[in-house]
Amino acid sequence: MTVAPLSETPLLAMRNITKEYRGVAALKNIDFDLRRGEVHAILGENGAGKSTLVKILSGAVTPTRGDVSLEGQRIQIAGPADARRYGIAMVYQETSLVPSMSVAQNLYLGDEKFFNRLRGTYIEAQQLFQSLNFPVDPTAIVQALGTAKRQMVEIARAVRLKAKIIIFDEPTATLTPEEKHYLFALIDRLRKEQVAIIFISHALEEALEISDRITILRDGAHVITGDAKTFSRETIIRHMVGRSLSNELYGRAADGRAVRRAGEKILSVQNLSMQNIVRNTSFSIFAGQITGIFGLVGSGRTETAKIIAGVTKRDLFHGGDVRLGGSPVRYRTPRQAVDEGVVYVTEDRKSEGLFETMSVAENIYVGRIASHESQGFATSMSEMRELAAIWSKKINVRTLNSDARVIELSGGNQQKVVIAKALVQKPKLVIFDEPTRGVDVGAIAEIHNLIATLADDGLAVIVISSYLPEILSLSDRILVSRQGRIVEELSPGEATSESVMFAAVY
Amino acid sequence: MNPLKNAVDRWLGRGDASISMPPMDGAFRPNDLLDSAPPIMETPAPDCLAVTTQGVVVSSERSLFSVDKAGGAPLASFDAEIAALAGLPDGGAAVGLIDGRIVFVGGEHGGKTIEASPDVTCITALAPAQGGALLVANGSASNGPTAWKRDLMEKNASGSVWRIEPASGARKQLAGNLAYPYGLLGEADSVVVSESWRSALTRIPLGASGRSEPVLENLPAYPSRFSRGADNTIWLALFAPRRQLVEFVLREDRYRRRMIAEVGADYWIAPCLRAGQSPLAPTQQGGVTQFGMLKPWSPSWSYGLVARLDRGYRPIASLHSRANGRRHGVTSCLPVDGRLVFCAKGDGVVASCAYEGLAS
Repeated sequence: MTVAPLSETPLLAMRNITKEYRGVAALKNIDFDLRRGEVHAILGENGAGKSTLVKILSGAVTPTRGDVSLEGQRIQIAGPADARRYGIAMVYQETSLVPSMSVAQNLYLGDEKFFNRLRGTYIEAQQLFQSLNFPVDPTAIVQALGTAKRQMVEIARAVRLKAKIIIFDEPTATLTPEEKHYLFALIDRLRKEQVAIIFISHALEEALEISDRITILRDGAHVITGDAKTFSRETIIRHMVGRSLSNELYGRAADGRAVRRAGEKILSVQNLSMQNIVRNTSFSIFAGQITGIFGLVGSGRTETAKIIAGVTKRDLFHGGDVRLGGSPVRYRTPRQAVDEGVVYVTEDRKSEGLFETMSVAENIYVGRIASHESQGFATSMSEMRELAAIWSKKINVRTLNSDARVIELSGGNQQKVVIAKALVQKPKLVIFDEPTRGVDVGAIAEIHNLIATLADDGLAVIVISSYLPEILSLSDRILVSRQGRIVEELSPGEATSESVMFAAVY
Repeated sequence: MNPLKNAVDRWLGRGDASISMPPMDGAFRPNDLLDSAPPIMETPAPDCLAVTTQGVVVSSERSLFSVDKAGGAPLASFDAEIAALAGLPDGGAAVGLIDGRIVFVGGEHGGKTIEASPDVTCITALAPAQGGALLVANGSASNGPTAWKRDLMEKNASGSVWRIEPASGARKQLAGNLAYPYGLLGEADSVVVSESWRSALTRIPLGASGRSEPVLENLPAYPSRFSRGADNTIWLALFAPRRQLVEFVLREDRYRRRMIAEVGADYWIAPCLRAGQSPLAPTQQGGVTQFGMLKPWSPSWSYGLVARLDRGYRPIASLHSRANGRRHGVTSCLPVDGRLVFCAKGDGVVASCAYEGLAS
């Protein structure tokens, strides 16, 4: 056996990595190399497989097939502790800190001594933060910190562990320009110390600015790896969206699908603002039409929808207007929105959309109770069974019986229950947020048909999705969101993957 | 009116004190169709359009021109500026002058003049009514047609609509307290009025019974005159854009009053028919010029906009001249034989474009 000299051996090599979920491949035979002291950006659309790939490295996911080698030695990463032992640290997009503990305690979590000297811990943490130029108080409780500072703690934890490989998953999404500047300086410093960095970001300019090499994934497959200097924004976008299989699965309006004409203006959102997340955004929604809203994660789509539906509140001062049927509305609770015919089908069905331990019938009936047609406190078992029977048949929820608990259903059927729960409220405006996330292909087609039927019946429908083919195939009108604002409106005839993605990232 | 609620709304910037703008999307999605329309004639301040036996006629300052003839042949001149024009069913025309007189040209009442009255001093639009009567929009009780900017800044709602009998000169007020009525469209038993300062169209019943009701509200620009096409769709000209800064100034009463008192009207923070002609005019947030080019999305003081409405007065399409365009301040439009003729008063151009395929 010949062994390559250490300098030529990549620090990390992943070969033929495949990850399947119930037979569906999320990653297909990915090869990936990481060199010492390089910043390697992994780019791709939502669902391209970036997160799955780095989760395999961080030990959160085990690959179905494939090998991982570190410094030429094959390794098995069975869990996060293993990853840490191998010197692989991950800075998560959704932070993994314990909110009720202090910053310093979080820094040393899992690495505590038998007798902890709290003061010593705080002093060490303070020194670490000072060296990183992060203005974070080590004694502060994590839940009191903003997102940016939580992310700083995550980064500091990775640095403290003296990781050989640090994975940054969307590190700049919540940072101010000044904080971003500090982060890039820190990444540069780590690079000089021969730490290898994996950088995942939707901001292409950042990837081009900071990275040495770029790898692009699409639909779970490797597309290209090359020096960052050889890429431009245009070439990156082309590699990110140039799909063939998806075009067969999802027909576009330009390919002959009929486009519904706009009916009455149902909703007018005018100069809506919520902190830095929704920024002075304006758009209209019309009856009898599906309005698709595309944007990358963090572009403020969900937050805008939640403000419309009364789930979250806009800015108290000069937060803008939401006009439903011409009248200004300001919902304090979702119940008020439901009463006026606005329903929101959440993207996170497990925590916001369902009572998992309750039956299908009970879940659907909860939707009825929330609607204005509900008879006060009175509940009726017969009405509940009747509703469950009607809606299970109408939207084809496949269960053994209506008493089956929701937790026992597949993702697709769970999603249908969430939709049924919304539709029993007889809405005028339905907002679907990522309606087919975590749903199998068969159920996707059924949900798409259901959404189309609602628009055909004259309802105003908003579909928020990060999956471009879904937006292109469903929408009669496409709005593109970027940095908290609707920045572009496209008709289905003129929308292409490139034009939509261009508007979303430029 | 609840003073406490008003105070809270003012403090929080919501309710009536909100300065949010309706979005220009859907049927109002920007394009450059007005700019790509070939010009028919260039003349100072073309304002009104009408169809008479002479064909399509346009008013410009004190004169009427034929639009059908190349370059615009002059048809008639008056001793005062023309403020409004209407084609009558008998082929003649009614001409409203800036001093409040109404002169009939051609047709049954040709040569007749209805003298000005103190009630009607700001004629902004004329339209034929059933029974040979004439509908007259009086924009303001206190300002003339050239002082529309002052009327907006004074937040007046003193306009009115009148029915005048050409034969006798008898007049009857149909509605009052209107926020600058600038366009009229007669229907069987009502008249639809564009109220510029409310950015709305209002239906006023002609009979004794019935109440005025809005037919289209919350427009993104100030509406002016409109006309009905052969297919019963309606074409509405909108002469200037609504802007957040203007709405903000309208809310700040002390500032607004001082501005009116101390600054020349050309330099007010207010909409206009053509912006960017004076370096002394106020700049606005986002009015970005780079390498000498004004960005089309700049929130300029002037804009060109014509909307097509369906029979129910719902917008279905629009034609635009954006911030960097050259067809601003459209005050009239008229569909003729599949083409839309429009007056860009701000830029002194009469132009026409085909509208086939534009959401019918």
